[in-house]
Amino acid sequence: MTTTKPSLKSLLARHEVVLLLVIALEVVLFSALGRRFLDGTNVSNIFRHSVEIGLLALAMTPVILTGGIDLSVGSMMGLCAVCFGIFVNDASMSPLVAGLLSVGIGALGGGLNALLIARLNLPPLIVTLGTFSLFRGLAEALTKGSKSYSGFPDSFLALGNSDVAGIPAQIWIFLLVALGIWLLVHRTTLGRSFRAIGYSPEGARYAGIPVRRNLSLAYVLAGAIAGLAAVIFVARLGEARANAGMGYELLAITTVVLGGTSIFGGSGTVAGTLLGYLAVAVLNNGLKRITDYQVFDKTISSVSNEMSGMLTGLLLLLALAVIPVTKALAARRSKT
Amino acid sequence: MKRILCTLALCTVPFLSACKKSGESTTGGDEKLTIALLPKSKGNQYFVTCEKGARTAAAELGAELLFDGPTSSDPAKQNEIVENWISLGVDVIAAAAENKDGLSTALRKAQAEGIKVITYDADAQPDARSFFVNQATEKGIGDALMDNAATLLNGEGEFAILTANLTAANQNAWIAAIKARQAEKYPNMKLVDIKPCDDQKDKAQQETTNLLSAYPNLKAVVAVCSPAVPGAAEAVKQAGKTGAVKVLGLGLPSENKAYVKEGVTQAVILWKVEDLGYLAVKAGAALAKGELKPGDTEFDAGKLGKLKIEGDNILLGTPFAFTKENIDQFDF
Repeated sequence: MTTTKPSLKSLLARHEVVLLLVIALEVVLFSALGRRFLDGTNVSNIFRHSVEIGLLALAMTPVILTGGIDLSVGSMMGLCAVCFGIFVNDASMSPLVAGLLSVGIGALGGGLNALLIARLNLPPLIVTLGTFSLFRGLAEALTKGSKSYSGFPDSFLALGNSDVAGIPAQIWIFLLVALGIWLLVHRTTLGRSFRAIGYSPEGARYAGIPVRRNLSLAYVLAGAIAGLAAVIFVARLGEARANAGMGYELLAITTVVLGGTSIFGGSGTVAGTLLGYLAVAVLNNGLKRITDYQVFDKTISSVSNEMSGMLTGLLLLLALAVIPVTKALAARRSKT
Repeated sequence: MKRILCTLALCTVPFLSACKKSGESTTGGDEKLTIALLPKSKGNQYFVTCEKGARTAAAELGAELLFDGPTSSDPAKQNEIVENWISLGVDVIAAAAENKDGLSTALRKAQAEGIKVITYDADAQPDARSFFVNQATEKGIGDALMDNAATLLNGEGEFAILTANLTAANQNAWIAAIKARQAEKYPNMKLVDIKPCDDQKDKAQQETTNLLSAYPNLKAVVAVCSPAVPGAAEAVKQAGKTGAVKVLGLGLPSENKAYVKEGVTQAVILWKVEDLGYLAVKAGAALAKGELKPGDTEFDAGKLGKLKIEGDNILLGTPFAFTKENIDQFDF
């Protein structure tokens, strides 16, 4: 373990360097091809439009580090968004109280995942596949699939639509959460135990780590952050609906894996997740900036926007392909 | 770790420096209008047809047209597209709202940035746009359906209605208009039943089969949601009652072409979708140029002629009946 440590570290660093190059390439490419890509409001939009997925990716990182997965975070967003709407509209609570309660509901839902995964030893993929349907179904039942909540006070909508010190308000929250997760994962024994559990749950248990408790915590945290993401999402849209966060769980997993975290658990960094997030956010925004173009006198509608799914997929596959290559290079170097 | 943090910091530099140089205009000195058209969803043939009309209008005006819309069911997508257009600096946004309240948040933001906003097809909140291009009023649709049914039945006989579900607001408003028209003009016609089909063709087919056996004197099925029109037609055809029981309803001509040509379905009622896109762009441009102002009662819509404005609704006019004679001319 001690002998492989430095080479592992350099490998991770290298993956992040690859991501940095990808991001730099994207920025150069879109500044050249896109319309007003580096415009201030657009740079704000890059983050404003993706912050919920970024939050879910941060929440997903500890879960994946333990070798688990949480497919329910997107559905949890839908449920928390609906609950938030009910709290504010029907129970006339203040958005702050309603927001805190929504985060609490997220934590409760995460607790259900934790109970089934950590206590009953059920596989995370199946458990969260179940709660994926359960949470979304609950949200749809609460709204009969069609009702939506709106009419939130402007002071609340400002959370999703205004700037604080030149930076979108919700980005400050995102940075705080990122810092918190980074401290947790890289600076506490609890956080280190996530990776230990991911390497070998049995080994971690023999090493005296309270595996069940720590595993539970990762899922509860994921649920709570999904609740927070839901509140920010509602503040941005000004509308709470059961379909909030639809499909976001897969985007969050993509971001985490793109960031170099092993899907089998045990290795990965929060910085990697942040870079993965940047790479995907810049890609999706940049493609929107390449709008129609003129060929002679005919206007051709650009299809670049439709390519975002394809390119995100390619990016992920390429990033995964790079890992064994760099690993092999590192191995060869250590031999000579 | 330090190295990673350093590179992270370096990575944000281009973004931070970029924040300072906003406000550049790409349109330069020319006066060319940029008009952005937002559909509910991008792949839907209905909105593709809208785009066609919009392109015609943009070409007439010498304006640039941007067309973009969601390709997934993520409710945030429409807002993101609008916010993207705001930062692109478009002059006009014409939007069809998928989520009324949600999209209004983004449209208000656009208005605050000085962009002219109109809605078409599906309205947003009134304070989030200047005008709504209304393709058909509730009364317009109800009257058109009832009048066509009455013409087919020579003003007498039993008919039934197929709807999406019994709580759908749009459909219920149309049904109320149908009932009002019947009571007012066609005393010898009788509405015998209203059945929901959950917006599904096969359910509509089942319900129609049930209606045909429950009401032997049934003369017509009126469908107020689009999947129900071919659904009802299939049931009537299989029951061997082609022509004896008339089928008509709201739907896309393309989905019903085969049944209309076979004579199972007599009339498909809809507005001319291409004209809706055309009018949305025309009205948006006129608004930006100051030719269209709140309080106007009439709008000169080029090839569509002079159209009526009721309050802040620009009316496209009476719906159109697609029949055996004309359905081949339309491809949406």
